[in-house]
Amino acid sequence: MITNAMIWVTEAVKEPTVITPFEEALLAGLVFIIMFGLGATLTPKDFKLAIKKPAGLIIGWVCQFGIMPLLAYFLVITFLMPLETASNKDVLFIAIGALLMGAVPAGTTSNIFTYFSKGNLALSVMMTANSTLWAIIMTPLALFVYGGFLFKDAEVQIPTENIVRTLAVLLVPVVVGMVIRKYSANIGAILELMGGFFGLFFIVFLMATWVPRNWVLLTSTNWQTYLVAIGLGLFGILIAYLIAKAIRVHPANARTIALETGIQNGPLAVAIILVTFRGNPNIDQILLVPALYSLFIVIISTFVTFWFRRANVAEEQKIPNLL
Amino acid sequence: MNERPWLAHYSKGVPKDIDTVLFSNLAELVREAAGKYSKTVAFTQVMPNGMNGSLTYAQIDQYSDQFAAYLREDLKLSAGDRVAVQMPNCLSYPIVAFGIFKAGLVLVNTNPLYTPTEMIHQFTDSGAKALVTIDMFADRLPKVLPSTSIKSVVTVRISEYFPPVIHGVIRMTQKFWQKSLPKVTSPVTDFKTALAVGSKSLNKDSLAKYLKDVDSSTVAALQYTGGTTGVSKGAMLSHGNLVTNTLQMITMCGDYMRPGKEIVVTALPLYHIFAFTINLLGFYHMGARNLLVPTPRPPSNLKRVFENYKVTWMTGVNTLFNALLNERWFQDGPPKHLRASAAGGMALHDSVSERWRKVTGTPIVEGYGLTESSPVLTFNPLDGGGRDGTIGVPVPSTYIKLVDEKGTEVKVGEPGELLAKGPQIMLGYWNNEAESAKVLKGGWLKTGDMATVDSDGFFTIVDRKKDMILVSGFNVYPNEIEEKIAQLEGVQEVGVIGIPDEKSGERVKAYIVAGTSAPTAEQVIAHCREDLAAYKVPTAIEFVDELPKSPIGKILRRELRAQVIAASDAKKGK
Repeated sequence: MITNAMIWVTEAVKEPTVITPFEEALLAGLVFIIMFGLGATLTPKDFKLAIKKPAGLIIGWVCQFGIMPLLAYFLVITFLMPLETASNKDVLFIAIGALLMGAVPAGTTSNIFTYFSKGNLALSVMMTANSTLWAIIMTPLALFVYGGFLFKDAEVQIPTENIVRTLAVLLVPVVVGMVIRKYSANIGAILELMGGFFGLFFIVFLMATWVPRNWVLLTSTNWQTYLVAIGLGLFGILIAYLIAKAIRVHPANARTIALETGIQNGPLAVAIILVTFRGNPNIDQILLVPALYSLFIVIISTFVTFWFRRANVAEEQKIPNLL
Repeated sequence: MNERPWLAHYSKGVPKDIDTVLFSNLAELVREAAGKYSKTVAFTQVMPNGMNGSLTYAQIDQYSDQFAAYLREDLKLSAGDRVAVQMPNCLSYPIVAFGIFKAGLVLVNTNPLYTPTEMIHQFTDSGAKALVTIDMFADRLPKVLPSTSIKSVVTVRISEYFPPVIHGVIRMTQKFWQKSLPKVTSPVTDFKTALAVGSKSLNKDSLAKYLKDVDSSTVAALQYTGGTTGVSKGAMLSHGNLVTNTLQMITMCGDYMRPGKEIVVTALPLYHIFAFTINLLGFYHMGARNLLVPTPRPPSNLKRVFENYKVTWMTGVNTLFNALLNERWFQDGPPKHLRASAAGGMALHDSVSERWRKVTGTPIVEGYGLTESSPVLTFNPLDGGGRDGTIGVPVPSTYIKLVDEKGTEVKVGEPGELLAKGPQIMLGYWNNEAESAKVLKGGWLKTGDMATVDSDGFFTIVDRKKDMILVSGFNVYPNEIEEKIAQLEGVQEVGVIGIPDEKSGERVKAYIVAGTSAPTAEQVIAHCREDLAAYKVPTAIEFVDELPKSPIGKILRRELRAQVIAASDAKKGK
């Protein structure tokens, strides 16, 4: 079955319609708007602090760049690597996608789920921004370290330099968003809202175009890959929640940290792959985990949100949040 | 203390008495500011995500004239009629409040979080004929209105006067996301329509006519209070009370409050007397820009306020300052342009004031007052002469003495009940001669607070008389114990009460909200033993997620006591 899937993939790559130019432009626009909105949450002070006082958001930072890449690595070596055979190296490319998914910063969608979970929205926004700023160093570093462990024989190359360059380019809309916010807090707030919503829109985009066209691939993908894609989000949320609970942060903050950690920036991961692995014959396999992750994280987060609301609403209703 | 020893400690240029004839009513006070600062931004409402709307002094003046005309001409209210106002801090509030004053009517501030029962009590007691309310709570109207004498209702929207697109986004969020806009089934007029109607019936002569009989002794507001003694009563605050208290407060601030230059955070609700007099009236009079925050909870709602505006002043209560100091973003980037902060409403803990000064590098001083005194009675000098832990010295034209049970003045250093006299003391409680007579005697207001005074005339509140704990015949003041526990690392909030005890009559119990690194109960007790007498040391410690608080964030000990009683009743199977 696995072999069949791989044959299909090899065939598909020959066709240049993995992602149409229109979809690519749409995706670029989406990522641009998301980063724009993220910029609108920032002030120059945040940049200074991210460099001067990285300890400020240490829990979130540790969860984001400590737990998530490690979790991805763990899932990959446990479930995917045993599938590697001399004749089947494709699994290595799926592994690259999984590692990248673990190494990218938090997504803006987390802000929306935090809101619904009655979490701490300001903390969520700050953690997303903080991890995005740090990503320019941490994402390539995590890939370099864990990629180094995985691919010792250098059969697979991770274009670290390219990834750094892509992230740097993506910081441009962040800066533009910041400037706009400085001149109009109102437009800034609208951009910020749009950033969160367009993150969700990405899922609609995936459902509408990517899923139908890759239906055969999805039905023939092995369960291990699904497990990695689902586990990354689910376990990420659970582990971060347990840590936050263990160190006794406020319940609202614990929920925020959990969602913030588990929800990664899917569109960003896809964009990085499209840019840095352009022309790679295995780009489909690399895209597999990020795409599956992006689909499932919405479902996982929705369930988690319901659970969070039920578990904690009663005790906290005493504080009127709106007044 | 008729010789007023504190006068020597006033900052330079502060007069010993206030010229009370400057403005004969509040309408004059707000019109003067509008004339002087017309083009300046008077109010900016800031939402938690940074969305905002603003109104200038000229706009506030124009719209409040229109609203005054609407109340008098279209709702046919007559001088002295009461108008209840129930909304969080938003741009409509100053228009409504000033409109009521300009119309010669009486403002009845109402807490928006009130239950229908509480609303009915306040509306029937005050005999309000009209209500201005936020549409988010209009679903309670059918339950409330039939039991009251309210004939007309005007509804405001939280995003009134925001730019159209932003207004639209907020409305949509409220409607589809927060689902906070209930269906309004009672007949109401929306605010913008009311103003449009009012502007048609508006003319200069009638505006003057509304104020014909309004002078400094006319009631301007019924400010409900008295949760501490059960049923709430309406303190009658006159135009003169509120005008003088505004001037008394401003005078004490001296050069720290620069005309036309200040930007002040108004995070406490304007329906509460503290923010009402100091922020709404005081800072408006000084031409400042008031940043209205609809809700400071959670404290991260203030993040955008501090990021987007060059805040120069802040008013708050201990709980709010403490909450801000516990916010990472606030510690990392304290407001750069802040000049001074004023605390009131409850005791400001030394640990909080010290940290506030350290983090912001600016003075924070404590004042003291009651709803019944409009509210400011004392304030600390800002120019370095302030003394931590004290409530400062009486403001100009104000006399304070401390008396024992028999009514004789106590010696310096000894605790006695604080009595106050001055132009800011209320006229009495509305329709409640009996309660008025209990607290007002010979022009002196009995505050129910126990205080001490030093030889320089700096007063220190020991505690509420009613909160005093009697342990084996010894007086224990919860404030002292709370202050001691608050010093401990990891303690975010603390409330101390007395609980019944078979042996000692009462014993001390502390309720603690812990932060990330909580001390153990044993550590708290050991810490208290360090410098508290044995009978003052808590014998019970309970860690809780939250403490009951008043709308401005004052910790409510009576609620804690009620919880204890309810719990013991439940145990007995009652």
